[in-house]
This record gives sequence, structure tokens and C-alpha cells, in this order.
Amino acid sequence: MAQLTLEKLTKRFGTSIGVESLDLSVNEGELVALLGPSGCGKTTTLRMVAGFLPPTSGRVLFDREDVTQLPAYKRATGMVFQSYALFPHMSAADNVGFGLEMRGLNAAQRKTKIDEALKLVRLSHLADRLPRQLSGGQQQRVALARALVINPRIFLLDEPLSNLDAKLRAEVRLEIRALQQRLGLTTLMVTHDREEALTMADRLVVMDGGRVRQIGTPQQLYDSPVDAFVADFVGRCNILSGRRANEREFRTTGGLLLPTDVASSERDDADAFALRPERITVVAGETGEVRGRVQAITYMGAQTEYVVALGDETLVAVRPTPDAGEPLAALKPHDAVSLQWDRKVPRLVPQTSK
Amino acid sequence: MALLVVPACLLVLALLIGPMILMFRISLNQFSPTQLMVQALSPDNYIKAATDPYYQQIILATLGIALLCTLLTLILAFPAAYWLGRMESRWKSLVVIATLFPLLVGNVVRSAGWMALFARDGLVNTSLLKLGVISAPLEIMYTTKAVIIGIIAVVLPYMILTLSAVIESIPRDLEYAAANLGASGARVFWRVILPLSGPGVAAGSILVFVLCMNTYATAVLLGGPRFKMMAPAVYDQFVRGNNWPMGAALAFMLLAVTMAFTVFGSVAFARKYRTG
Amino acid sequence: MISRRHFLSASAGVAALASGMPTARAEGGQVVVGTWGGDYGQLLSDIIDKPIMAPKGFEIVQDVANADPRKTKLLAERQSRRGSMDVSCLSDNDAYIVSQSDVFEKIDAAQVKRLDKVFPELKSDIAIPHIYSAQVILYNTNQVKTPPQSFADLWDPKWRGKIGLADILYPNNTLAAALAGGGGVSNLDPAEKKLMEWRSLDVKIYPSNEALAAALKSEEVWLTTMWLARGFMWKKSGIPLAHVVPKEGTPAIVFQASVPKNAKNKAGGFAYLDAMLDAKAQGGFADKMGYVPTVTDAPLPEDLAKQVSLTEAERARLLKPDYAYAAGRSQRTLDFWNKEFKA
Repeated sequence: MAQLTLEKLTKRFGTSIGVESLDLSVNEGELVALLGPSGCGKTTTLRMVAGFLPPTSGRVLFDREDVTQLPAYKRATGMVFQSYALFPHMSAADNVGFGLEMRGLNAAQRKTKIDEALKLVRLSHLADRLPRQLSGGQQQRVALARALVINPRIFLLDEPLSNLDAKLRAEVRLEIRALQQRLGLTTLMVTHDREEALTMADRLVVMDGGRVRQIGTPQQLYDSPVDAFVADFVGRCNILSGRRANEREFRTTGGLLLPTDVASSERDDADAFALRPERITVVAGETGEVRGRVQAITYMGAQTEYVVALGDETLVAVRPTPDAGEPLAALKPHDAVSLQWDRKVPRLVPQTSK
Repeated sequence: MALLVVPACLLVLALLIGPMILMFRISLNQFSPTQLMVQALSPDNYIKAATDPYYQQIILATLGIALLCTLLTLILAFPAAYWLGRMESRWKSLVVIATLFPLLVGNVVRSAGWMALFARDGLVNTSLLKLGVISAPLEIMYTTKAVIIGIIAVVLPYMILTLSAVIESIPRDLEYAAANLGASGARVFWRVILPLSGPGVAAGSILVFVLCMNTYATAVLLGGPRFKMMAPAVYDQFVRGNNWPMGAALAFMLLAVTMAFTVFGSVAFARKYRTG
Repeated sequence: MISRRHFLSASAGVAALASGMPTARAEGGQVVVGTWGGDYGQLLSDIIDKPIMAPKGFEIVQDVANADPRKTKLLAERQSRRGSMDVSCLSDNDAYIVSQSDVFEKIDAAQVKRLDKVFPELKSDIAIPHIYSAQVILYNTNQVKTPPQSFADLWDPKWRGKIGLADILYPNNTLAAALAGGGGVSNLDPAEKKLMEWRSLDVKIYPSNEALAAALKSEEVWLTTMWLARGFMWKKSGIPLAHVVPKEGTPAIVFQASVPKNAKNKAGGFAYLDAMLDAKAQGGFADKMGYVPTVTDAPLPEDLAKQVSLTEAERARLLKPDYAYAAGRSQRTLDFWNKEFKA
């Protein structure tokens, strides 16, 4: 496995920006996820790493080797496509063996490796099936085996789970992560699903409009987003615009004063107040600093969501569903409530970072 | 829904099957130079057509030309079809129309154009002579070469459009996947694109083969009087010889050989690429 | 051999202005004329349709096609009560073949007043002779300094590769070969050996008369056998050509017109036939196409006559086709031409 380094990697399509001056390195055995809405440049980046797209400028390095000019078929990356891209005219085994055949392995050598790879993804019994005779999950595993069997220098995952149903997705997510860690695969993954990114990746790269917004561990991104976009994209977040009023309060454009601790927000250009719903405590009755009225209560099983109106603003709080008899359990819309949070938790961030 | 098919079926029946039955009936008649034909029910014309070395040779030549042209067309069409099939530009529909454009010109007019190019004092010869590439005019007109070039020019658009439709339906990701697994451009073509283009190759080849087998204007105008293909031979019997029964028998012979090869080719192909 | 009287009269200057003569009656209606396109069709329209037929209230519609489709049409339609043509223009050979199926109306002298001016030798029961010409040898005067005098001379090895033939004139080319081999209009047997000899002398074949003309012009070939009339037109178009009337004889071709039995407008058809024999119209065809008039009262100007008519001695060599023989042998002639000669 190799280390992947991107240096000022840029791709323009005509005058529009695909990816702008991306610097990133993925360490050996690390899984880095590129996260962002569609059109953010994450797939373009992946394709440049694989060699499907030539960069406009910048470099792609595998270890210290500059592969920017190397054609895709000489790069030895192993990619799992969103569509799986299995060859429909070849059996599962032949799909897995394709890369080995291209590497000049004879039939016997191929057979051993194919068997091994199919065993790894628990598909040995379906080796002779054609892709269309396999379920989506099985196809996905063939694609995985096909990409891994060639011992790729870099492992690439393009929205690998998006075509699976929700239940399978959670399962395969863990499976891929386990496999990646066990085999020590240097992995670059593209996804637009934050849950997928947060649960699988060692580090995340949040992209928007071809530019990197923030790079960091899931926790860094979740707790310390650099701007409102990252805050919102990495997880659900209350974002209220306004200005800081003083050292201890933020004033929303609606005139509401919210407790905060300015020391925890380094940026001067902050014009948004970001607070995750699960960080807010809801107390029945008008006892606290921040008071409002319940607008809606949504039961979500283990958790319950409270939408609270504070003058013109609303805040969403998510709490563990209270047991019957607790004061919160009796809460109804239009009831008066107070909201509380640790003053150090809210982030004051710019709406957009440049 | 099934009822909606009825008018089309009736039309085919009336306009295609009807005349064919009539033609078949004629092929069993006997020729008379003064009465056009005499009613009869005899296989004589077929026996004559099938045993006459002259027609055997023409059938073989026609087959040879048709197969060669189909193969050459396939080879020439593939790159263009691939380019067209993979095109994502907004000009794509214009390119498709441009591909179809030559079909708007009749075969006769088109052949006349080739004649102007190929003649002893035509554009090709005068240009090459002027440039000093050749010292004596090339004999292109009235050669098999000229006919092959002419036929390919006629059938190429059919092949390109048939192939490009199929290539368009092959996901681009499959090519990327193959390249990702270490396949160079050529190997991507042979192992992925070509096998998956199978249905298009088959459909295009059959279409083109049938068109080639029935070449008339191109063969007559570019091949000249000595060039032999079946369709002009049929025409000769009908129109110059006024021998309708023999012409009809020859027409059915051409039909039979064309169909036999088409079916044989399709079956062989289906066996080779049984991917479904 | 055709009598020579009418050839003389072509330039004899017997004047009678046919256009001024009273016509049968103004029946009117539409007349469909099955004819060749090109110059012939255009001349019919310019010389006959507009000045003669239109004033009498006829509307002329040309059904333009080559002779073969027209023959086929006549034969195919012979069972139907109403045919698609009122007048059919064909060469004498073709008209003979078609008439064997009894598709043409007998020529009615009462309806074709001009019939009495037609040279008797050109008369036929089922057709009027419109124009005619003779098959001669044409040669390029730049290249050929001592022209051949007979069809047989065309087999001289010194003309190897320099003789061109029109594919569509295969019956005439076959007849020329027969004449060269000692045969004649009623004996085509010698043609087969001579054709094969010709073949070994690299005789060139062109798909159409026009292609042959182009080859003569580019001097790809120097000699051919062709209608004198067509030679006249080619000369007019600037190809350096001269003609020789071959010693063996010069086969005649008469372009005829007939009224099919199932014509919708028979009276109109006969009126058209009558107009085709109009003296002025006949002169027009000679001037434009080089064919010789078929009526006694259509003199040609002297210099024109020199180019399109034959001299007295040449006229003696005119050969009238043996229609029945040629028709009976037509399939063999075509087959030999295709299968052996062109193979």
C-alpha cells in the first residue's frame, strides 16, 4: 500500500471549476472520505486519482512517484464503482479474474487468487453466476473482490453503498471498514452521505464548489466546523444568523440573545450561531434564560425531536425519549419551555468561508 | 394493444407478401419471347439458374462482395460509431443528422458523383497526375474496387448508426473499470466494448449484408457492363431479356442465399456471444 | 434491302406544308405519349405537342421511360381493358416483339391522313415510322487516319483496346459481329465466334451511349459502331468524329409509334401519329437529332442531308432487320452477350 498525495490538484471544464487547487494526503492504511453535495468536485477528484480524467494542473503522487501522466491502466488503483461496473458478459469469477489476466497471470494462478478473493467476500458459491443473476449486495461484493484481488496501491470507493437498501448499507459499511483496516488499504472514498462518511472514515474532506471547506477527523468536523456549510453538512445543526452581542451572548437577526462563550469562537467574521440539536436540553416551564413555546414534537423511537419557537426564530432540540411520568413526557405543543446548553458548545462561524 | 398491430400487418401482407407470392408464381412460368410468358408450373427456371455456371459464379461473386463490404464497413464504422456513441456534446443530434445526410442522396446520384471522381479524367486521376503521384491514369472506374468503395459509402451510415446506438448503451464505467484493472485501450476494446457491442454488430452486419447483396445502381454505374452482381442480373432478365420467369427465379435465388447467410450468421453469432 | 427511293426524297425538295393541311377533327382530350426523355421527348414537345396538337385542343402528357420498361409495361398491361398509354414510341425491333402479343391497334389510314406520304418500305401494319437512321462505323479523326471500311476491319489487331461498344446496344453490336463474320440479319450464328475474337482484342464496353461518347471524346477509345444520327449529334457537340458506311451493309433502325389496343383515347393517339408525320416536324428532328425523315415531302437542306443521309452507293447497303429472327433469338443473344462475351 502506498501513500496518496494530491498537490494543488485542479480541474477546469472550460471556464467552470471542477476542482480547485486541492491539497490532500492520505496516509498508508488510512481511509479518507470526500464528502459534499453533488457537483462539489469529489467524484472529479477520484477520477483524477484513478487516471480517468487528466488534471488541468497539479500533481497526483503515489508514495513519491508522480503518476499524474500515467494512464489509468498503469496506475494499479483498485476502484469500486457506484454502479459496480461489473462486466455483464463475464461470470463473477471472470470479473474478479480480469485484472489478474491483464497482469499476465496464467489460468491456474488466477484460479487460486479468484477463489481467495471470492472467499474474502463470502461469494465462493456464486462464482459462475453472471452479474445479472446476482443481487445488488452480491454484485457489490464481486466489485469489491475484483478491486482488491489485484493488490491495488490505492483503494478507491465511489459511493460504494448508494445502490444498497438501508439495512444492507449499515452492514456492508462495517464490512468494508473492517476489510480496509484488516488489509491496511490506503483508501479514498467519495460519498454524499454524512453518516457513511462519519462512520467509515479516519478523516473527512468536506468539499463544495470544487473547493475544500475543511479537512479533519469526524469529531473535529462535527464539533468544530469551520463554517455553517460544514456544520450543516456533517450533521443536523441549528444555524441562526446574526452577530455576537458581547463576550457571552450572540444576537440573532431577529433580536434574540443566545448564551455562548466568545472565547470558543476564534473567528472575527462569524455571522452564524451553530448548535447541534442533541446538545440542547429542554426543560418544561419558563425557568431558564432562553424561553420559548413548543411548536412540534416528533417521536423518533429512542429519541424525540422538539421544535421550539423563540420569537421569530426556531431551534430544534433532540433528546432521549423521556419515560412516562417524566415532566417532558407530558409536554404538548404550545407549552412553554426553556432551552439550556453549555455555553462553550455553540460555534460562532461564518456562513461561508472563503 | 394487439389490435393496433393489425393495420401494419395487413400493410406488410398486402405490399410485401402479396407481390412475393405473385413473383413466385411467375417464376414457375415459362418464357416466351413474344408472349412474355406461358402459364406453367415447372421448376425449370430454378434448375437452370442453379445449374448454370454463369449464375453460380454471379451468386458467389455477389456473396464475396457483400461479405467483404460488410466486414470493411464494420471496421470503418466502429471508430466513428464509438465516437458518436460516446459523444455528450449538444451537437450530437447534428452529427447524427450529418451521418444520415448521405442517405438523402439517391444511390444513382451518389454513384454519378463517384463516377466524376473515378473517371480516367476524373478528379482523383487529374489530382494524382498533377501532383506527380502517378504517371498514367489509374483505372478505377468499372473495377471491383470502385464498386466496393461505392457500396461502402452507401451502407456506412446504417452501420454507424446501428453500432453507435448499442455503444451508447454500454456504460462508460465499464471502460473505466477495465482500464482500472489494467486493460490498455486495445484490450478494453477487445474484451469489453466489442463483446458488448455484439447485438449492434449483428444487427448492423445483417442490415448491411442484405443491402450489399441487393446492390443495383452502384454495381451498374461503377462496376460497368462487365461487372457481375445478382441484382443487375435479375434486372437484365426482367427488362432487357423480358424473361420474367427467369428473372423471378433469379430473384428468389438471391433471396434464398441472402436469407440463408443471414440466418446462419445470426445463429453462429448468438452462439458465440450468448450473453442475453 | 430497303428500296432507296425515300432516301433520295429526303433531299429531293418535294414541298408540302403539312401544318397547313386540314386535320380530321378536333377531338381533343388528353393523350398519353410513352416516349424516351431527353432530346427526343423535348423535341416531341417542342415540335409536335405545342405547335400542332395543342391548337387542336389536345393535352399531351409524356410518360417518360426507356424502351425496356415501356415494352414491359405494354406487355404487362395487355390484359387490362384500359392501358396507361395512348401512343407508344419504340424502335422497330421492340415494336415487333411487343406486337406479337397483339397489343397494338392496326394503323387506320383514315385517321392518319399523312400515311400516304410515308415511304412504302417503312410502312407497318401496327406502327407509323417516325424517324430512322443507319448503323455505321464512327471513328475519331485525330487518331484514325486510315479508317476501316467494313465491320470486319474492326477486328484488325491494330485497333486492339481502341474499340468501344455501348452495352445497351448489344443486339446491334451482335449484328455487326455477325456481318463481319459473314452472317446477316437472318443469321447471327457467326456473331458468337467474332464476339469472342473481339473480346480477346480488348474491346471496351460502356454502360451507356453517353459513357461511350465520353470515352470517344477523351480518346480512351477511337472507334465504335453506332447510329449515324447519334454520330451526327456527337459531332455537333464537338467530338472529332467521322463515319464510314460499312461494306457488309448498314443495318437500319426505324423509330416507330403505335396506338395500343387498350388506349383510353385512340382518336387522340392516331391524331398524334398523324402529327408525327408532319413534314415540318420531320425536318426538325433531322436538324436536331440527325434522323432522316420518313415521308416524301420533308426535304432536308443540302448540307444537313450530307451529314445525316447516305449517298446513293451507301443506301444500296441498307439492311432491313429480320424482326422475327431477331426476336426468336433474343434470349440467346442476350445470354451470349452477358455470359460469354462480357464474362
